[in-house]
Amino acid sequence: MNLIAWRDEFAIGLPDVDHEHRELIAMINALHESLGPDTAVEQIVAALGEIHARIAAHFALEEREMRNLKYVSLAEHKDDHERLLDDILDIMDTVESPRDYAPEALGARLSKWFTGHFRTHDSRLHRWLAGRS
Amino acid sequence: MSPNPRKWLRAAFSALESLCSRVFTPEWNPLLQLGALGWFFFWVVAVSGIYLYVFFDTGITRAYDTIESLTHVQPWAGGVMRSLHRYASDGLVIIVLTHLSREFALDQMRGKRWFAWITGLPLLMLIYVSGITGYWLVWDVMAQYVAVTTGELLDVLPLFGEPISRNFVNEASLSSRFFTLMSFMHIAAPLLLLLFMWIHIHRHTAARIQPARGLGVVVLVSLLLLSIVVPAVSQPRANLDLVPATIGLDWFYLPAYPLVQHWGGAAVWKLFGGTLLLLGLLPWLPRKRSPPVAQVSLLNCNGCGRCVADCPYGALSLEPRSDWQNYASEAVVNADRCLSCGLCVGACPTATPFRTASTFTAGIELPQLPLAPLREQLKKSCAALKGDDRLVIFACEYAGKLDAEFGRNATVAQLPCVGMLPPAFIDFVFSRHLADGVVIAGCTANGCFQRFGQRWTEERIAGERDPWLRARAPRSRIALSWAADLGAFRKGLASLPPLRLTDRGAPKPAPMPAGPRWPLPVRAAGIVLLLGVLAGATAAFATKPAWRQLEPDEAVVRLSIRHATAAKVECKPLTPQQMAELKPNMRRPVDCPRERWPVYLELERDGQVLYSGTHQPSGLWNDGAASVFRTFRIPAGPQSIVLRMRDSERESGFDHVRSGTIDLKPGQNFVIEFRSDEGFVWR
Repeated sequence: MNLIAWRDEFAIGLPDVDHEHRELIAMINALHESLGPDTAVEQIVAALGEIHARIAAHFALEEREMRNLKYVSLAEHKDDHERLLDDILDIMDTVESPRDYAPEALGARLSKWFTGHFRTHDSRLHRWLAGRS
Repeated sequence: MSPNPRKWLRAAFSALESLCSRVFTPEWNPLLQLGALGWFFFWVVAVSGIYLYVFFDTGITRAYDTIESLTHVQPWAGGVMRSLHRYASDGLVIIVLTHLSREFALDQMRGKRWFAWITGLPLLMLIYVSGITGYWLVWDVMAQYVAVTTGELLDVLPLFGEPISRNFVNEASLSSRFFTLMSFMHIAAPLLLLLFMWIHIHRHTAARIQPARGLGVVVLVSLLLLSIVVPAVSQPRANLDLVPATIGLDWFYLPAYPLVQHWGGAAVWKLFGGTLLLLGLLPWLPRKRSPPVAQVSLLNCNGCGRCVADCPYGALSLEPRSDWQNYASEAVVNADRCLSCGLCVGACPTATPFRTASTFTAGIELPQLPLAPLREQLKKSCAALKGDDRLVIFACEYAGKLDAEFGRNATVAQLPCVGMLPPAFIDFVFSRHLADGVVIAGCTANGCFQRFGQRWTEERIAGERDPWLRARAPRSRIALSWAADLGAFRKGLASLPPLRLTDRGAPKPAPMPAGPRWPLPVRAAGIVLLLGVLAGATAAFATKPAWRQLEPDEAVVRLSIRHATAAKVECKPLTPQQMAELKPNMRRPVDCPRERWPVYLELERDGQVLYSGTHQPSGLWNDGAASVFRTFRIPAGPQSIVLRMRDSERESGFDHVRSGTIDLKPGQNFVIEFRSDEGFVWR
């Protein structure tokens, strides 16, 4: 089963951004599926590295769109992006240190990391965009 | 090896720049903002010029008086404005020539950087046209000299039907029309100048057109002080019947004018043309080999536009997507503008070494310096560092190849510009314990060779510009070095304390010690001294040394002749038959070929031929008047002269002769003219 199932609320109404949301969910789900007791740490770290890069680019794109649209809560939204980027690097550090790494917790942590932002900031952007049009 | 002027000039600029950075601080360093200062001086000239124009009478009889009254009736306003107008114009020449020399010295005009250089050349010419037409308007003896010499210069060119100089031959010939034209040109040239200034900076992202505010204030105050202490004044009123023996010249605008008298106008045009041609070719002399340009990897680019925002040269743009991916745009590199500085790489969100897949590609990269091997090299060279206080130095290539011998436990990674370093690399160094400190060493403070490398680096680390350096990377373990040269960098590095985790919350990295700072009074005195010397030189060369165009016991004789001779063939009536042969619209009762006879002219003084020559009638059909304009310097005193002219079909002998003794006074402008009804006329 997929770790994160696509929900319509994930779509905020900007085609580029929604496309990336789908791709990111697919990447996280693929990583989750590959997780098993024997999965090599290098493989997980490599996958997380790609997710990190993609999500950094995704945030950059979303911020550009928000800036172009003069989105009122841009500053808070961006701060949350920066926090998420800090977090994923910490998650990667955890995976690399054998003491702290628990494979079963990783999936839950990733899911929380990703969907938390959706529920709050992205949905606020979605509502603002809907109200605008 | 032959001496290399560019190298010497570069060394001179480097020394001057580091002096100015110490005196003015890097933010105020005038040498690092010459272009912006040029704009500033332009505006000072423009604003003071508008004030002067309000009071100026563009008629030639009143021009001198209105300027005199501006200077003497309202010295506190008009006088100051006039002085500002002159000194800021002179300052503009100083700044523009320094700007040009510096770009040449730093080789910032070759290859792909040709655009600003080439568009700067019309600027240079327009500045001179503005200055020369401006001096014309004062109508004092220097204006007279400018008018007469410009006339001589322009008459060399086959542009005008009859000599321009005839407008300024004596007081009687003077007309307000030409003068009004000059005031129009004096307004049109600066307007064109402004247009070209805008084109000049067109390829520079966020071109700087305002100097640091403090510097602007200091410069304006110096100009004001100079205007009050040494007000600009007119020289004696122009009088075309006299030739002033000596004139105060503005050597910033008129250095070539004395050459016209020495070499003749044609040689001076050759000098201008040759200089301009050489300057125009410099960007390709010799041809510059350009490194490969930045490359976009579409698989890693979602069109976020950060690279576009950070490119200093406008070489990147967002264009409609060209691949299958469901994005609206992608970054596109304009290879003609890309200087391979790598600032775009530093801006790319996918340029992160945390992508541990053995090969990774960022959305945009320099093909000659891909990030994945750079990361591997970094890991390898850091692994060789043992013990405490291990440093990674990220340095730009501006200072040349750096060796690792710094007396520190350090390894060096060089990039075209420090702005190429993605901030994630700094985080990577710390989080993977590759080293204990990171030193970022770029060009001299405020003088980044790639324009924005320093600024972007500082802002990215401070979380003011994307991509931010992650909050967890301790700023206390980063040092930024913007040293004036390699020696200063070594010194700074030697005195840099070990970079330790002292304060996790420190918002900014430690600035690297940049040598002892001069105390404020010393710097203030330095500023006063430097600007004082500049102001003094400006005031001095604006009128001195005086130029002697005539010895005290000499006078000038000018031949100013315009004569329409008789037609070569007389009109003859056409027979009806001849008329019938012509096309209906060309039928005429009389046939009058328009060609006229040439003029042969001789001037003899004391039995010696001073001048002789044949002059064709003007016009494509040789049907206009023939013109002669010649100037002779002759000792004052009584002179016997003979003038002879042949203007008909005869092959020998003359149609008009006049001889006589004239008494030339020193400095007299003696004009010889010809009128069809009176023959030779002189006075």
